[in-house]
Amino acid sequence: MFSVLQKTVRPIQAARGVHQSAVKILKHPAPEDTVTASFGQFISEIKPQHLSPVVLQRSKRMVLDSIGVGLIGSTTDVFDLALQHCQHMYAPDFISSVYGRSNVRLSPTLAAFVNGVATHSMDFDDTWHPATHPSGAVLPAVLALSDMMPASRKPSGLDFLLAFNVGIEIQGRLMRFSNEARNIPKRFHPPTVVGPMGSAAACARLLSLDSSQCSHALAIAASLAGAPMANAATQSKPLHIGNASRLGLEAALLASRGLEASPLVLDAVAGVAGFSAFYEDYKPQPLDSPHDGHAFLLEEQDMGFKRFPAHLGMHWVADAAASVHKLLVGVGPGKISPDQVQDILLRVPLSKYINRPFPESEHEARHSFQFNACSALLDGEVTVQSFTPGAIRRPELHALLSRVRLEHPHDNPANFNLMYGEVQVTLVGGDLLKGRCDTFYGHWRNPLTNESLRKKFRNNAEVVLPSAKVERLIEAVDELDRLDECQDLLSQLQ
Amino acid sequence: MNSHSRGLNGGLAATSCSTLEMQMHIGFSAGRSWKRAIFNIMSPTPEETVTASFGKFISKVKPQHLSSVVLHRSKRMVLDSIGVGLIGSTTEVFEMVLQHCKHMYGHDNICSVYGKRGIKLSPTLAAFVNGVATHSMDFDDTWHPATHPSGAVLPAVLALSDMMPASRKPSGLDFLLAFNVGIEIQGHLMRFSNEARNIPKRFHPPTVVGPMGSAAACARLLSLDSSQCSHALAIAASLAGAPMANAATQSKPLHIGNASRLGLEAALLASRGLEASPLVLDAVAGVAGFSAFYEDYKPQPLDSPHNGHAFLLEEQDMGFKRFPAHLGMHWVADAAASVHKLLVGIGPGKISPDQVQDILLRVPLSKYINRPFPESEHEARHSFQFNACSALLDGEVTVQSFTPGAISRPELHALLSRVRLEHPHDNPANFNLMYGEVQVTLVGGDILKGRCDTFYGHWRNPLTNESLRKKFRNNAEVVLPSAKVERLIEAVDELDRLDDCQDLLSQLQ
Repeated sequence: MFSVLQKTVRPIQAARGVHQSAVKILKHPAPEDTVTASFGQFISEIKPQHLSPVVLQRSKRMVLDSIGVGLIGSTTDVFDLALQHCQHMYAPDFISSVYGRSNVRLSPTLAAFVNGVATHSMDFDDTWHPATHPSGAVLPAVLALSDMMPASRKPSGLDFLLAFNVGIEIQGRLMRFSNEARNIPKRFHPPTVVGPMGSAAACARLLSLDSSQCSHALAIAASLAGAPMANAATQSKPLHIGNASRLGLEAALLASRGLEASPLVLDAVAGVAGFSAFYEDYKPQPLDSPHDGHAFLLEEQDMGFKRFPAHLGMHWVADAAASVHKLLVGVGPGKISPDQVQDILLRVPLSKYINRPFPESEHEARHSFQFNACSALLDGEVTVQSFTPGAIRRPELHALLSRVRLEHPHDNPANFNLMYGEVQVTLVGGDLLKGRCDTFYGHWRNPLTNESLRKKFRNNAEVVLPSAKVERLIEAVDELDRLDECQDLLSQLQ
Repeated sequence: MNSHSRGLNGGLAATSCSTLEMQMHIGFSAGRSWKRAIFNIMSPTPEETVTASFGKFISKVKPQHLSSVVLHRSKRMVLDSIGVGLIGSTTEVFEMVLQHCKHMYGHDNICSVYGKRGIKLSPTLAAFVNGVATHSMDFDDTWHPATHPSGAVLPAVLALSDMMPASRKPSGLDFLLAFNVGIEIQGHLMRFSNEARNIPKRFHPPTVVGPMGSAAACARLLSLDSSQCSHALAIAASLAGAPMANAATQSKPLHIGNASRLGLEAALLASRGLEASPLVLDAVAGVAGFSAFYEDYKPQPLDSPHNGHAFLLEEQDMGFKRFPAHLGMHWVADAAASVHKLLVGIGPGKISPDQVQDILLRVPLSKYINRPFPESEHEARHSFQFNACSALLDGEVTVQSFTPGAISRPELHALLSRVRLEHPHDNPANFNLMYGEVQVTLVGGDILKGRCDTFYGHWRNPLTNESLRKKFRNNAEVVLPSAKVERLIEAVDELDRLDDCQDLLSQLQ
């Protein structure tokens, strides 16, 4: 049957236009119409012209923010640990740059790893809806791969941005396969489920793999996905993003060598789990072939950027508590004393993960409603410095912490699109001061202005880079879609 | 240590802790029972989590805890695993990952690669490629509950041993202890869930317990303390778990390769002080740890090792394969081989598909190994139909049965088209309980039957040492000269008596 079709196909190919689509249908019968194949096809066929101005703008903001948090993240202990490990356990390989470390380069997958660790090391990186930290899983891999390519064949800034956006888009699409993705994760840490897939997709795009190889890159990555939630809010959490970036890149590289895995990895196959293994409910949807007007998810759903390095949920209570601080400062001697405070009530969503009355480590503090509310109450804001060991151990902070109680109103679900934070402080005199935040500044409903985003970037980047480089980075990212070569970007990262 | 001297100087506030520490200092000279009493007071229940018990076991177990049965059985596993790794180094998928490692990383002359003279890689990369080799032909050992334990552990232990300086190589006994720890941990983890006894639906078992076993073995070999051992397991858990859909694809060998590599990596990171969840193995409501990989999960603490601690390997021996295919294939192959013998007795000495009207296989229900017309080597290794027909045709299934030429034989295809499957209720998909029946109806009307309850190589009917060595020689001689092959057999045989495992390490390529 197949050889008969092939004979009829040849004469038709001579005619153009109308007939060509008919030819395509004859040559590609139903077996290709799997969800998995549709993703592979999308990744291989997407082009820069499919990026709208909104998506270009939003993704450039993400690239800038991600680099900035990666740069300040390069000052953390866990980053150092990961870097030492890579430098000692592998031979020197001067290929891909490492954030903030001049003259340090590593093999591509190792650079993706340590830069991913840096990016997530302070929980300062971007958050999307449904919830994951998309950029840290993708950008380090795309950077490492770009560094790997020969000087004469570096990707253009637009190729770079396209690959980056593919990595984000694929993550967004995959999260929509399950309702579970909208709830608090119980089993697997979302960046470890969709992150490797996004990284593999971005790298497959940058390597210009064909559609079958792109599908296999996703399938190979699926075998490296999925880390349990218990390791989140531990020192290992940043490795979740580091590994997502590294292992996705590795998957794409192996696919480029011809390695194959399941051609049905994204499809729902009874009795044999593929990517569905990570979810309780799973309804995959094919991706349309890219065409002019294909709307990237980023067009409909903007990114949330953090103003301080803590879990996104902390930003609501911090903003609410900051407004109470303003009231108190207005009322009193200009500085908050715990003696003034009798009781602090937080009305927040129910989530064990971010309910920590007395956090003992920096990681726990970044995941504590109580800590962030009290810090903001005391200081008027939460900043990078709020999480230093000295700041964490302040007796006045501890005094406030001991006065906190939580309520979980039914109308306050643990969902980044719907939650709010309320802080109600009862003063010793009996006065009641209330603050409420429905949408913190930096949330996708109330996005950071470009000025605020650059201010965050400068604060972060200047910890490790000289101002001149910091400004050149801002420029390079701003013009990224117009750069002939992304080298201008790559050369400023350390 | 610091705080107890402070206590003596009377410096700090008199908390109950410093009082105890003062007593401990006094107790030190008074003998061991005193010390143990103090130690019990100082270590309250929070330490007795399942996770901590595993960390404690790994850090405290010693060579003397290995019984002679366990030593013997594990040496057989080491030999078999090396052999299948050596022949596995001739596969395409191995070549692919080896090239990947050579090109994507700096040149590093540290750890040997199976069967490739002169090629060495960084430790985790060597563990990776050697693990891929080990599983590349589905020829490696299988345990009950089902997993392929050795391939996840041995490559990592070998790589780590290669990494250690010449003056401080582990003794053969240290090596064997680490290896057995890696096996033991996998066995205990699988017993946390009833799901482990059924056909896996979600995660491929070697990817769930394999990294944990590798991390445990490496933590043991690195002599990490009990807290670091726990953290090694926790770090490994974040790297565990690959979906079943990728099994029976060309990627499957990477499941074992990655288990070995990522477990080693976890132990190395733990040795640098990286920490992860101290409750990773425990059942914590609402926050999944290792439980994320299972539907039902009931963890049990491990007893502190003591003289007489029984390793699981003592109670449950390993299954070794006689040919490179899924374990389930061995039942139908043996059953079909007995029918072949009958046929050969009757007829012209060679089986012709024309003689055969119908082939009925009575086998467990399992989609994973039910493939009527396998198209690739990987599919053929996972096909009841293919293995039964190959054995019917040739009298046995061997390494050569899976070459492209053998797979595409028209006479084999003719037999395949005559096969149908039945799934009797008394034939569960469980390696401890299943059987295989082959019923051939000849054109004349005669019916020939073969049945296998326990194939030769199963833990109930273990390969003799001679058969195991024969398999090893067949495998190893594909890539190594005979002299090396014999030296390897000797080195493994005396492994528990070798001062230095270098004698083993130097023969692998």
